[in-house]
Amino acid sequence: MTRAFRNLRIFYQGALLSYIALFAWLRPITYLASKVIMPLNQLLFFTFLGISATGRDSASFYIIGNAVQITAISGIYGVTFSIGGERWSGTLPYLFGTPANRMMVFLGRGFFHVLDGMLGVVVGFLWGVLLLGLDLSQTDFGALGLTILVTTLSTSGLGLLMGCLSLITRNIMFVNNTVYFLLLVFSGANIPLSILPASMRAVANVLPLTRGIAAAREIIAGAGVAQVRSLLAGEFGVGLIYAAFGYVLFRWFEIQAKRRGTLEDF
Amino acid sequence: MTRKWVAYSRAALTAFEMSLRQNIMDGFIIFTVLIQPLLIALLALWMLRAESGDQAIFVVVGSGMTGLWSSLLFISGNSITGERWSGTLEILVGQPTPLPVIVFGKNLAHVTQSLGSMIIAFLLSSVFFSFHLEVQQPLLFVLSILLTVIAFVSFGLIIAPVFIMNPGVQGWQNAMEFPVYILSGFLFPIALLPDWTTPFSYILSPYWAARALHGATTPGGTASDILFSLAMLVLFSLIYLLISSYLFRKMLMKTREDATLGFQ
Repeated sequence: MTRAFRNLRIFYQGALLSYIALFAWLRPITYLASKVIMPLNQLLFFTFLGISATGRDSASFYIIGNAVQITAISGIYGVTFSIGGERWSGTLPYLFGTPANRMMVFLGRGFFHVLDGMLGVVVGFLWGVLLLGLDLSQTDFGALGLTILVTTLSTSGLGLLMGCLSLITRNIMFVNNTVYFLLLVFSGANIPLSILPASMRAVANVLPLTRGIAAAREIIAGAGVAQVRSLLAGEFGVGLIYAAFGYVLFRWFEIQAKRRGTLEDF
Repeated sequence: MTRKWVAYSRAALTAFEMSLRQNIMDGFIIFTVLIQPLLIALLALWMLRAESGDQAIFVVVGSGMTGLWSSLLFISGNSITGERWSGTLEILVGQPTPLPVIVFGKNLAHVTQSLGSMIIAFLLSSVFFSFHLEVQQPLLFVLSILLTVIAFVSFGLIIAPVFIMNPGVQGWQNAMEFPVYILSGFLFPIALLPDWTTPFSYILSPYWAARALHGATTPGGTASDILFSLAMLVLFSLIYLLISSYLFRKMLMKTREDATLGFQ
């Protein structure tokens, strides 16, 4: 019990402190620009591009896809800051010098970004309703909330893996930016998967967001949890796999860095 | 007088060369100039269900323009701030060549390298998608490219001092990328937007650049329309150069008064 409580405390305090101290966009102006205005602009750009391509009747396809995709901002960039920031701040030796449960330390990095990511998606849907006339009248909001949670968790799983990559490469923003845009291309946010070549549909199936976006579209069209549960289970599973790989990389990095004395090595 | 301008040209070209050399292996710049426009071109080609070379060339130009603007915003915008971060701004300000000449050279490098966005989108469309791409009015296209470069370099001469005088404004960088894509009609006509946004499009030089380039590369573009767009580019370039000369004077005075050349 004491150990469980201690681990929970490590999880929560690590989550909170890493979010406050290492999330570079937490200042009011930068948060507003990067987490509220930029997603709105992205949503508008791809929706108008989509309308130009396939007509106004298809607007909801792009609005829903891009609103859910917004979670990748927190899931990828935010979580990467919370892990890679330890390296840039010079606190990695202290972190790995502690006897703290590594699973709690690792998973805690994503906790507040999951909440932040969910908020971002909700804001995205609000923009869609207020500015672009998205119709949510058929929506089971409980199911949609669950979809947003699961999708954000799975994207954060990818973010945890990306964060660990930031411990071993200096070009992590290059990787993050590329992955973010690859998600825009292959997750079904803007392009129906049915028109992608088979090889690229295979790529889409191993990415987070793909099933979450598909589930969100079905729910907004009137489906319930029962109809989308396989999509949500798949989405969660994909995120779990990425998080597991990330944890393995995290532990491997610690062991190698201690063995070679390269914890502070840039 | 002539010797002075020869010296300034030499300094600008040296700054141009140094910037190109520094940027060539920078991951962020490679992403902004090559990867992002490539992925936007891929998105646009599939979203627009491009079936003809005309549609493909529209995407090539549009996605290339996105690379140009992103490069201007994130790279040229930081051309003075980057010198401050490196600790070299004081040296640059203290030497005889005016700072705007150096920044001009740097911006020219950034804009020139970002033309690679259009080349990469062209290769994607012609090689990967096997579209036959044809520029409808080659001479006007080349002229449009040249004037676009000048206009963007001039715009960069405004952004750079604004960002260093107002770090708060630089915090909005992430939010400034997509609005210009939208308002300038890079990948879809601005007629899709509400009417009240049209004046905002008209005061953006990227809009006129996109209008000229799309007109020169796709069927339906008339010479008069393209030349009008080019005239607007020249006008905006002159306006930007005037404003930038004032901004640089103000910036240099302010940073010297506040003693913030070396830090923020």
